[in-house]
Amino acid sequence: MSTYLSQVWVIVWKDLVLEMRSRERIAAMGAFAVLAGVLFNFSIDTTTTRPQDVASGLIWMTLIFGGLLGVGRTFHLEAQDGALQGVLMSPAPKDAVFLAKTAANFVLLYVVSLLVLGVFGLFFGLDLGPNLGWVVVVLGLGALGFVALGTLFAAVSTGTNMGETLLPVLVFPLLVPMVIYGVGTTTRLINGRPFDEVEGNVRMLGAFALAAVAAGAVLFRYVVED
Amino acid sequence: MTDEVSPSADTLGLEKIDRDEIDHSNGVVLQAEGLRRDYGSVVAVDGVDLTMEEGEFLTIFGPNGAGKSSLLGMLGGGMRPTAGTVRVRGQALSFSEHDWQHRIGMLSHRGFLYGRLTVEENLRFYGTLFGLRDLDERVPARLARVGLAERARFEVRQLSHGMRQRLSLARALLHDPDVVLLDEPYTGLDPSAAGVLRSVLGELRDGRRTVVMVTHNLREGLAMATRLAVQVSGRFAWEGSNQGLGREEFERHYHDVVEGRV
Amino acid sequence: MSTAGMRRGGTTLTLLGLLGLIALYWMAFFWVPTEVNQGVVQRIFYIHVPAAWTSFLAIGFAALASGMYLWLRDERLDRAALCAVEGGLIFATLVLTTGPLWGKIAWGTYWTWEPRLTLTLLLWFIFIGYFMVRNATEDPEKGKRFAAVVAIVGAIDIPFIHLSVVWFRSLHPEPVVARPDGPTLPGDMLVTLLFGVLVFTVLFFGLFLFRYAVEGLRAEADLRARSAA
Repeated sequence: MSTYLSQVWVIVWKDLVLEMRSRERIAAMGAFAVLAGVLFNFSIDTTTTRPQDVASGLIWMTLIFGGLLGVGRTFHLEAQDGALQGVLMSPAPKDAVFLAKTAANFVLLYVVSLLVLGVFGLFFGLDLGPNLGWVVVVLGLGALGFVALGTLFAAVSTGTNMGETLLPVLVFPLLVPMVIYGVGTTTRLINGRPFDEVEGNVRMLGAFALAAVAAGAVLFRYVVED
Repeated sequence: MTDEVSPSADTLGLEKIDRDEIDHSNGVVLQAEGLRRDYGSVVAVDGVDLTMEEGEFLTIFGPNGAGKSSLLGMLGGGMRPTAGTVRVRGQALSFSEHDWQHRIGMLSHRGFLYGRLTVEENLRFYGTLFGLRDLDERVPARLARVGLAERARFEVRQLSHGMRQRLSLARALLHDPDVVLLDEPYTGLDPSAAGVLRSVLGELRDGRRTVVMVTHNLREGLAMATRLAVQVSGRFAWEGSNQGLGREEFERHYHDVVEGRV
Repeated sequence: MSTAGMRRGGTTLTLLGLLGLIALYWMAFFWVPTEVNQGVVQRIFYIHVPAAWTSFLAIGFAALASGMYLWLRDERLDRAALCAVEGGLIFATLVLTTGPLWGKIAWGTYWTWEPRLTLTLLLWFIFIGYFMVRNATEDPEKGKRFAAVVAIVGAIDIPFIHLSVVWFRSLHPEPVVARPDGPTLPGDMLVTLLFGVLVFTVLFFGLFLFRYAVEGLRAEADLRARSAA
């Protein structure tokens, strides 16, 4: 068991170190987050719409599009060096590889999501106050489900001729529950509703994330097999 | 009865094989039966059987497109055969099990290295994946063996091709595999890297490891091998033991085989 | 079952299904009483719901076959999944093309986000994804595996999508009056609906069998061509 954990950990470590040294994905995602905040601000006609009403939806959409930028390239680096083959030929079980890559992507995306929350909070004048903790949790659950599906299908799309352009086509329909529950919950929390009102939806979000991680862990081996 | 050799600066720290673990089927280490690999309608490997005993060194020659890389991929468990099985010390290479991987070490022309990790970090990464515990001693020793000790902290992308190949070699052998597979290891190597490779391969052979090497380099391929094979269109068109044929003689023989005169 | 037997079975089922379809149309448009709230327009319900149902049946079937394919690697299972997805795509397309047409006539809008239509739309994209992924690889075996994964994950997601869309809809009531598609339907309507489900299921399996048999022949021909080469 401890071998398993150390295998997972070392892959997470490797992905995060590589990301810190190249800053390839985090830069793109971070820049996207800020710029999206700016552009969305201009896209709202404040005479007819209150920013607070639409902020939640825009936050989630920014996370999804920005997240896709990062997650899509999960296997890109390794495809270049053929390094994924090396990992796959090691004794590390395929589900360990999947969980590690998902965890690393999650860290990446979660950091960006907090950035997005901050940026949109600032630009849109949101008062996050009492429910901030719950909003952060909800974002985390959404990010987890997203990252699990994204990592699995990033492996799929990297293995096709179309590459990363295929990723949104495969993943977007599957993300509908996440968007619905995530946005629904966040809007209420931002508007100061008590947590009890959204608890059911948060559970669904959690269930979704769990199912996504489990499905990915089981199916990943069939995707990367050669 | 285990002889433990602690890694020192000038050996690979090759441990003698623990005889109690061995499948005593005549010292057969690697056994492939009916290996076949299709890519859609293209047949890359068309029914290859191979039995290797401990200490044997097989060099496979062949023209491009003969399916040598696919064969090696299947022998190493990195590629799933369309048909046929591979066994290492009696254990079938199964997709879902994880205990045969440390018996095999593969040096592929793809490197398996991470450009932005340092030399040391690359080895430690793979060492952890293979469940090795003594990395603090093992990694420096192996780096010293391939002449990369001074560059331990260099990022791989700063290394020349020859140095990268040396690191790949250290990586492939880090976990002391029983079977070593080499895919065109001499391609693009400068003389010093080639020298390191040659001496390491010599040690493998002396240490009774089992080696399968694919190469275009006739001289090196003949120098090391106990067995030879020529692969054409997915099959072994010719195989036999290394009778000590000189390079020119063998080259003639090779062309005869490839062009179908044998 | 031999290929010829399957073709015959498939053709028979399809013909039965088509006959049943005619009967269903009669029942839906003439026999069953008009629904009180929505009027005549509601009758499309008896065609639409069963058609949508077959596309859900298709993804479930495909996911099952795909799962077994990944486990057992029997080509026939992959072929079964492929044919199921094809059938599902056809029925989903039917729902999506006729739905808006009726919507325009009945309520003045082409599209509503009512749960069934939404679910069918997303399922349609999942089916498309299945084909895109299957045909986008150099190694066809890889494509089959990828497609299997798409089918499995898609099927797992469907319940989540359904629940979320229903909840979403409850928040944003459309101008359209809610339709009586709950579990309690008065007798004649229930009979018509169930008959519709039966007819479409038969149609689906008829087409499936036929397509599966043809696919099997094609695979055989491929194999012969390869070994002759």
